Amino acid sequence: MFALARLLVIGFLVLSVVYICLSLYSRAVRRDKLEKEWDEEIQQGDRDAFVEAGLREYDGSLRRKLILGVYIVPLTVISVIIYLTNFH
Amino acid sequence: MGYIKWAFILTFWVLFASFLHYTLPQHDIARITETDVRRIDPGENRWFWAQADIGSDGTLGNRDVFFISTVRDNGRVMVYRNEDTGWSWPPYFKFDTSNLQAEAADLRSTAANPQWVVIKHYGWRNEFFTIFPNAISVRPVDGPDVRIIPWINIVILTTLAALFWAVWVRWRRFRIARIDPVLEDVEEGFESVGDGIARRRSGFRRWLDSWKSK
Repeated sequence: MFALARLLVIGFLVLSVVYICLSLYSRAVRRDKLEKEWDEEIQQGDRDAFVEAGLREYDGSLRRKLILGVYIVPLTVISVIIYLTNFH
Repeated sequence: MGYIKWAFILTFWVLFASFLHYTLPQHDIARITETDVRRIDPGENRWFWAQADIGSDGTLGNRDVFFISTVRDNGRVMVYRNEDTGWSWPPYFKFDTSNLQAEAADLRSTAANPQWVVIKHYGWRNEFFTIFPNAISVRPVDGPDVRIIPWINIVILTTLAALFWAVWVRWRRFRIARIDPVLEDVEEGFESVGDGIARRRSGFRRWLDSWKSK
């Protein structure tokens, strides 16, 4: 059980680092896109308010939830390997 | 300086390639001649042994390990150990050691009437350290001439190569954009300051000398 606990704890920590980095990166990319959109197409009204509204929409979007795949994909891969190695 | 740099780079890649060669799965075509159990006392070679079966006491100094003895299609013998990798490295998540031993025992054959099998394994056989590759699975095949395509290795090595390439390209871009200009600035600075330093140093020397006892 110790080995399983070690795998889960270390795996969780490593994947959390990946998850946090990816979330921050993805949000920054979205912010850049919104700012660019305002600069090139809209150019009227409050720029900051437009970007904030866009980011709030992003926070509720499916794209942001897809980043949870960082946890789900490795767990699925491990499950598949366990099945193929031991029960196939 | 150039030699030392290349020695480091070469050492790193040789170690990395050895690590991959040890860890990634390989397939041998062989026929199983015997399956048995031996008591093992891992010592200096304990890195090359896995741990006790999942759930059993892993703190004891020695334990019994399953072995699968084979003759390969090239006529040379190969002995495999058969151990759980469990939840540890390498990530094969193998828990079915006893089942695998039963399958291997079922596929035993003689030279006169061979039953060929494909043995998936990782690890090295080395007589000087008494280490054995760890068998992951066996499956019977019709003859010694089957063609095996190592899909898993292709996928893993391609992914690794893509990853290294992506990191390398970004590092190069970063270096050209951010580090090289700074280094050039520093170099130019040194050249223009060089004379000043020479003059100032003589002043510093004079100041140091003033502390010496006359």
